[in-house]
Amino acid sequence: MLKHFLLLCGLTLIFSCEEVIDLEVPNSEPRLVIEASINWFEGTLGNEQEIKLSLTAPYFNSDIPPANGAQVSIINPDGSVIEFFEVNQTGRYVTGQFNPQLGATYILQITYLGEVYEATEVMQSVTPIDYVLHEQSGGFSGDEFEVKAFYTDPVGLGNAYLFEFVQYNPYNLTLRVFEDQFIDGNQTFAYFSDEDLALGDQITINNYGLSEQAYDYLFLLSLQSSNPGGGPFTTQPATVRGNCYNTTNPEKYPFGYFRLSQAHSVAYTID
Amino acid sequence: MSFCSLGQTKHTISGTVTDGSSNETLIGVNVYIPELQKGAITNSYGFYSITLEEGNYVLLIQFLGYKSQSIPVELNKNVSISIQLQEDTEELEAVVISADKESNSIRSPQMSVNTLTSGTVKQIPAVLGEPDLVKAITFLPGVTNAGEGSSGFNVRGGSADQNLILLDEAILYNSSHLFGLFSVFNPDAIKDLKLFKGGIPARYGGRLSSVLDIYQKDGNSKSHQLNGGVGLVSSKLLVEGPLKQNLGSYLLAGRGTYAHLFLPLVDNKNIAYFYDLNTKLSYQFGEKDNLLASGYFGRDVFSLDDSFRNVYGNAVFNMRWNHLFSDKLFSNLSMIYSDYYYGLRLDFIEFNWKSGIQNFNLKYDFKHYLTNDLTLQYGLNSIYHSFNPGIIEPSTPESSINYDELTKKYAIENAVYFEATKNLSTNLALNIGLRWSHFTRLGQTELNYYANDQAVLFNDTFQIYQKATPIGVRSYKKSDVLASFNNLEPRFSASYLINDLSSVKLSYNRMSQYLHLLSNTSSPTPLDVWTPSGPFIKPQLLDQYAIGYATQTSNGNYSIEIESYFKSVKNRIDYIDGANLVANNAIEQVILNGRARAYGVELLLKKNLGRLNGWLAYTYSISEQQTPGRNASETGINGGKWYRTAYDKTHDFSAIAQFKYNKKWTFNANFVIQTGQPVNYPNAQYEYNGLSIANYGERNSFRLPSYHRLDLSASLNPRKNLGRKWQGEWIFGIYNVYGRKNAVSIAFRDNIETGNNEAVKTSLFGMVPSISYNFKF
Repeated sequence: MLKHFLLLCGLTLIFSCEEVIDLEVPNSEPRLVIEASINWFEGTLGNEQEIKLSLTAPYFNSDIPPANGAQVSIINPDGSVIEFFEVNQTGRYVTGQFNPQLGATYILQITYLGEVYEATEVMQSVTPIDYVLHEQSGGFSGDEFEVKAFYTDPVGLGNAYLFEFVQYNPYNLTLRVFEDQFIDGNQTFAYFSDEDLALGDQITINNYGLSEQAYDYLFLLSLQSSNPGGGPFTTQPATVRGNCYNTTNPEKYPFGYFRLSQAHSVAYTID
Repeated sequence: MSFCSLGQTKHTISGTVTDGSSNETLIGVNVYIPELQKGAITNSYGFYSITLEEGNYVLLIQFLGYKSQSIPVELNKNVSISIQLQEDTEELEAVVISADKESNSIRSPQMSVNTLTSGTVKQIPAVLGEPDLVKAITFLPGVTNAGEGSSGFNVRGGSADQNLILLDEAILYNSSHLFGLFSVFNPDAIKDLKLFKGGIPARYGGRLSSVLDIYQKDGNSKSHQLNGGVGLVSSKLLVEGPLKQNLGSYLLAGRGTYAHLFLPLVDNKNIAYFYDLNTKLSYQFGEKDNLLASGYFGRDVFSLDDSFRNVYGNAVFNMRWNHLFSDKLFSNLSMIYSDYYYGLRLDFIEFNWKSGIQNFNLKYDFKHYLTNDLTLQYGLNSIYHSFNPGIIEPSTPESSINYDELTKKYAIENAVYFEATKNLSTNLALNIGLRWSHFTRLGQTELNYYANDQAVLFNDTFQIYQKATPIGVRSYKKSDVLASFNNLEPRFSASYLINDLSSVKLSYNRMSQYLHLLSNTSSPTPLDVWTPSGPFIKPQLLDQYAIGYATQTSNGNYSIEIESYFKSVKNRIDYIDGANLVANNAIEQVILNGRARAYGVELLLKKNLGRLNGWLAYTYSISEQQTPGRNASETGINGGKWYRTAYDKTHDFSAIAQFKYNKKWTFNANFVIQTGQPVNYPNAQYEYNGLSIANYGERNSFRLPSYHRLDLSASLNPRKNLGRKWQGEWIFGIYNVYGRKNAVSIAFRDNIETGNNEAVKTSLFGMVPSISYNFKF
C-alpha cells in the first residue's frame, strides 16, 4: 500500500496524460462471490445478519448479477445450524437467529446450483475507537479535510483492523486496513481524507477486528482494486482467494470471504 | 617457450596511449604492425604491450576520431613508447581506418560486446535534452527496458538486477534518477563504456546478464579546462586540470536538476530533483606506477508539501593503483567502497524509514602479455556486503510508531579467475577462462526456522501458496556461517576468420549471482531492497550460448553483426501471488525458486564513417520464466506454466543517425519501434464490501500497444568559436516528434461518477522540445 502510494506520487509528479480507451478484454466463466461479513455491532444482540451472494461478470458490464436460490447456513460451534433466507431474488440472504460468541469458530455452508461451498472462521473482537478528530491538512494539496480515528492497540503482535469511512452526500464507502507491525501497543489512528469532505458533513466510521488471514485478504483486495495494468510499477495482479472453497468441484472456486467480528461504530460531524 | 623463437631474441614494446591535448588515457586503441598483421589493443588504463622478434618495424596507431600515427621502431631491446594521439578536427572528411583484418571487432574472440564513447551518448537526442547513457544503450540490439519512465535496463531478456554496473570498477546498485527518467551517469565525466551481453570474460562475475563497464575521465593533465551546459532540466559543470604537468590531474563534475521543473501543475511546496558529483584524481609516480582516486555521489530528492520526503542514491569511493611489474605484466589493485541509501519520511503517519546496502571490495587484477599470441588475465576479488533491509523509527515524540529494525544481513563474496586469450593460428583465436566464486552468508541476530525447512506452504484446499509460520527463531554471531555456496564458472569464446573481413564467433558462459533485488514490479523501484543468497535463497545460475557472424566492408565504413543466443537461468526468484515485499522481515515466506529462459537473434548494421553515420539494430527475442510446483501436488506459480517476463519485447527495432551538414550544423535522429510491454487485462469483475474488484487470469498474457517514437536534434557550433578559447554549442531537440501517445500503462478502474468500469491509458511524454547550451573554456 505504502509502496503503491509512493510510486503513484513519483509518477504523477511527472507530466503524464490519461485517456479512457476502448479495449477488448477476455471473459471467464462466472464464479460465485461470497460476501459473508457477520458484524456484531456494540449495543445490538447481533442476531440480525445478512450474507450477499453474487456472480462475477464481464469486466465492462454495468450490472453485477445476484446469485439467487442458494441455501445458506452457518454452523455454530455447538453444531446447531442457522439458516439464512433470500430476500426476494436479491442475492441478499438474512437471518434473525444468529448468536455471536467472541473467539468461537463458525462454519459457513452454501449450496448453489448443486455445488457446496464452505468456509471456516473465528469471531474476532474489536478495539474500540477512543476518539475522532479532523484536521485541514490532508490529501495531495494539503488542504483537504482529514479525519483521524484514534484507537489503542493491545500489546502483543497480531491485531489487525478494518475501518470503513462512510460518506453520505454523495454516498461513498472507503475501506482502510491496518495491522500492528509497527505500532504494537500504542495509541494510533486510522486516517481518511477526501476532496469532497466539507464543513458540516457527517460521516460514519465503522471499526472491525480482523484475523490475520482476513487482513491479508483485504490488504490484497484493496491493492488489486487500484492496481494499474502494466507500467513500470505494476506488481503481478493475483487471483485473490479468500477463505471459501468449493467442496464439490475445487476448480470452480468462489471469490469473497467469510468474516465475523465485533464492530464499533462512531458518527462524526466535521465542524 | 616455443621452439620457433630459438635463435631469435624477442623484445617488448609497451606504453600508454593518450589524447594529445588532455593526456587522457585512451581505451581500445589499435596499436598495429601492418607487415606482421599483428597488434594489440590498449586496455582500460590505456596500456598496451607487444612482444616481437628483433627487427625494424613501423607501429601504426589508429583510433576512431583521431589522426593515425606511424612510429618507426628499431627493436633491439625492450622499449617503452608512450603515444599521444591528436584529435581529428577535420570532421567533415571521412576518417579512413585502413582495411585490415586486425580490426578489433572482427578478429577478437570477444563477442556480444558494444562500445560507446561519451561522444556518441551525447549525440543521441534525449528527452528534455539531457543526454543519457542508459537510454543510449537501449538503442543497441538486445537491450531494452520495461517501458518509458522505468528504471534500469534489460539485456537479452534478463532482469534489471542481473546487470553488473561498474563505474571505475566500483559496483553501482541503482542506475536511475527520478524513477528512471534519467540515468545516474553524467556523460561529461564519462570517457568510455563497454557493454558485454554475452561471452562475458572470466574477469567479470556476480551478475548474470551483462556487464556495463564504465570508465570516468581521468582529467586533463596538460591544462585547466572548464566545461558545462545549461539545459531545460539540468545544468552541469566540469573542471579538470593538471596537478602536475603531464603527470597528475584532477576532475570534478557536478550536475543537478532544477527543483520545481517536474511539478508544473502542483504548487511550489513540492520538490523533485537530483544531483550527482563525479570526482577523480590521477597521479603518475615514475614510469611504472599510477594512482587513481575516484568518487561518485548522487542523490534524488522528492518532497511533497513537507508531509513526505524521500531521498536516495549511490555513493562510491575508489582507490586504484596501476603497477607495471614488467613491460609485459600490468596490474591494477582497487579498493572500493560502495553504498546505496534509501530514506523516507512520512510526516502524516510520523514515520521514518531508512534502508541500504554497503560493500567493501578489494580487487587485484593482472594482465600478462606473455607472447604476442597469448595474453593471460588473472586476479581475485573479495567483497564484504552489509545489508540494511530497513529501519523504522518514529519521526516525532508523539508518533505511535515503535522503533524497529529489520534483521541486518551480512555476506562475503570471493572470486578468483584465470583467463587466456590465445591466437591458435592466423584465423583462429580463443578466450578461455574459469572463475571460481564463493559466497558465505554470515550470521545475523535473528533467523526464522520452519517445519521441514519450508517457509512457503502450499494450501491444498485453496490451491494457493501461503506463508508458513516459523516454528522458532535462532540467533547467530556475525562470525557464524549460515550458508555457503561455491560455483565454477567456465567461460569460452572463439573467433574464426573466414576471410580478411568476416568472422564467425562462438561463446559459452556460465555465471552465478548471489545477490537478488527483491522486486515484484515490472521494473525496479528505488524502494526495492537487495538480499543475499542464504538458507532460503539459492544463488542464480546462468548458462548462455551465443553464435555470431561479423563482417565489414574493406574500408571499414559498413559493418554488420548478427548474433543469436540462448540462455537459461536456474533459481530465479519468483513471488507468490500477493507477496508483500515492503518492510517484510521474512521474505523467505513469499518467494519460490523458479527458472527463466531467453533466446533471440540480434542484427546490427553500422555505418561508421563519413558525414552520415549511425546504426540500425533489430532484435527478435523471447524472455520467459516459470516456477513449477516443488512436488506433484503443488500447482506452481501461474499454474506452473511458462509466462512472459515484464520486459519481453518480441520485436525491437531502433535506428540512430547523425548527419554532419557542415562545420556549423550537425543533425541527429533516432527512431524506435517495439512490441508493447506484457501486461494483464482483467477477465472478470465482482463486488466485495463495496469495492469493485478486477480479476486477472494467467500472468502477462496481454500486451500494451506497440511503442514507437522519433526524436530529432540539431547542434549548432557557431562560427565565432573559431580561434577563441570560449567554445559554445547549442543543441535543439524534439523528443517524440509526432507526439505519439505511447502507453506506459493501461489501468482498470471503477469510475465513481458513472459507476461503470473503464480502461484508462496513461502516457508519459507527448512531444517535448528542448534546448541546451554547452560550453568549454
